[in-house]
Amino acid sequence: MASADKLINTYVPEKDVFALHFLQSLSNLRTQNPLNSPDKSIDRVRKIKKAAYVSMARAAGGTSRLWSRALLRRAAKDDNKSVRFSRRKRKVTWKISSKRKRSNQRAPVVEEAAERLRNLVPGGGGMETSKLMEETAHYIKCLSMQVKVMQCLVDGLSPK
Amino acid sequence: MSNRRSRQTSNASRISDDQMIDLVSKLRQFLPEIHERRRSDKVSASKVLQETCNYIRKLHREVDNLSDRLSQLLDSVDEDSPEAAVIRSLLM
Repeated sequence: MASADKLINTYVPEKDVFALHFLQSLSNLRTQNPLNSPDKSIDRVRKIKKAAYVSMARAAGGTSRLWSRALLRRAAKDDNKSVRFSRRKRKVTWKISSKRKRSNQRAPVVEEAAERLRNLVPGGGGMETSKLMEETAHYIKCLSMQVKVMQCLVDGLSPK
Repeated sequence: MSNRRSRQTSNASRISDDQMIDLVSKLRQFLPEIHERRRSDKVSASKVLQETCNYIRKLHREVDNLSDRLSQLLDSVDEDSPEAAVIRSLLM
């Protein structure tokens, strides 16, 4: 049990999983707001951006990664909904996170950089540095996948 | 399961500094080509973290730009154009 967790688990699903989730999100947006509704363009952009992040979090593993959970929780709070997590897991994670952070004993120069990273990765604030590395690696892979999907969509829709 | 494992540590941090360096070097794989001056392991670790921050910020900016373009494209699509047909077939 102890030696297995030395390797970071960075399994990321294929691009089409991300694409599918994103397209579903977009289609939900369109059914909520018919094309001719008086939405300001900045609201539309914001909704699409949010759909991108939420669909990425769902595609990447939903509630099984700390960053995706934090992202979904933040998004749900915006909508004033509550997200259902398995309660036992959530309680343990929160409790351990605060204890773990206090025992951080890395070199200060590393910790400084890690602190900046914590602000960028969703949910990073409660993570111990080693966990932060793992979550960051996964987050980066998923983000770049999401960017690729969006780029393909833009390229496909752009006038020739 | 990982939560149960970490509960076992009391005073020491969960992994040693060597393992930390190993994890950081694994993280380095996912970054695009970076310039590296291997003076000491601690220096290169913070350099990797700095590059990671920059990369994440860059990706966030790209998501912003692409969302913006997507919003324009999705709105300006003619009902009869081939693009509309593509969207319709993708979204149905």
